[in-house]
Amino acid sequence: MSAEEIIASGKLELYVCGTLPSEEISEVEAAIATYPEVQREIEAIEASLLSLAEAVAPTLPAMIWSYILAATRSVRKIDGSAPRTNWSAITGWAAAILCIVGLFWMWKQHNGLQDDIQITTTENTQLKERIRFTEGELTDANNLLAVIRSKDYKTITLPGNQAVAPEAFAKVYYNQKDKIAYIDAGGLPVAPSGKVYQVWSLILDPLTPTSVGLLSSATGTENGVFKFENIPNPEAFGITLEPEGGSETPTLSQLYTLGAVSP
Amino acid sequence: MEQPDALILKMQNKNEIAFSRIYAMYSDATYGIIHSIVLDEAISQEVLQDVFIKVWNNSGSYDSKKGRFFTWLLNIARNAAIDKTRSKAYKNSKKNLSTTNFVDILATSDSLNQKVNAIGIQKFVAALKPACIKIIDLLFFKGYTQVEAAKTLDIPLGTLKTRNRNCIQELRTLVLG
Repeated sequence: MSAEEIIASGKLELYVCGTLPSEEISEVEAAIATYPEVQREIEAIEASLLSLAEAVAPTLPAMIWSYILAATRSVRKIDGSAPRTNWSAITGWAAAILCIVGLFWMWKQHNGLQDDIQITTTENTQLKERIRFTEGELTDANNLLAVIRSKDYKTITLPGNQAVAPEAFAKVYYNQKDKIAYIDAGGLPVAPSGKVYQVWSLILDPLTPTSVGLLSSATGTENGVFKFENIPNPEAFGITLEPEGGSETPTLSQLYTLGAVSP
Repeated sequence: MEQPDALILKMQNKNEIAFSRIYAMYSDATYGIIHSIVLDEAISQEVLQDVFIKVWNNSGSYDSKKGRFFTWLLNIARNAAIDKTRSKAYKNSKKNLSTTNFVDILATSDSLNQKVNAIGIQKFVAALKPACIKIIDLLFFKGYTQVEAAKTLDIPLGTLKTRNRNCIQELRTLVLG
């Protein structure tokens, strides 16, 4: 298309108006670049339309420009400012995180304390048990002590039989009135398995042994002291080692201790 | 009128003085376009502010190789004005307005009378043929496509182009003498 043709086509006017279809725009732009007269034509069209638009515009207040400038400056200020540290936000987040950590710590502490309480409660129960047990033992010991200290009881030491057990000994606390004897077997060696100590009361003339009983758990107290009742007036006490269950008559070869009741 | 490419470039580089000179050169014409669509001075001024703020912020998107700066500005202004007329608030306040062209505005606008050259302008606008007023109103002020304008005026596309060219020629002789 020549310069004259494109000028006459009416496309330049539409181009300036901004209503030319896009496929024709490139054609017009090529012509503008090629022909200076097309460029001049475009400028003339634009100038006349610009004047017309100005002519129909009401008076524009001068303050509009200040508004625009203020708006662009405030926008620029926000854009241009360095990313400011938002301390209040940081503080807020830090406080929140600290709070969560604190809560978690307290929760852990709480759990730990619960466990401690559990353990302490168990320990308490065990201690109470032991106190009860110890109190029982103490009562027994006190009872025993009361027996030993009582004037009604005689103390008889049964020395070891030199032939069988020279180191052994036993003690008998005997109440003649009530016919009760406590035998402390702490000085006897531990009975071998299958054997048991048997206590005898003896009348010396003629020698008559009477079985008092076995040193077994049935007659024993916790601290190795055995209690026997209904003992006829003996003149001596003897302890022999017998087969389990005891014997009718003492095995004199296994006589461990023997002691006379002083009158 | 040659396009102020140097000024445009400076504005694109965020030079405020260049921007103020561009505003001085184009604000009245832009205001005229907006007002011919919005038909309310206060609202038009609001739209004009938005348009020039947009020009400042988006000046980088204008490429002098791809069309006239005036055409670029025209498109922004028309779109902003049309958007405004579609808003609910605008529709409620303008229920009773009948469609108007730029010549009707000239006849009714009071503030135009304060313009020094208002009488001269009214004279040349009045000299335009009614057919020219219609066609320039649609294609230039309202931004109709050729097809839309041809349909509205009920004339063939070829006639539309020729008539538009002749009308603008007539305007040129009136304006530029």
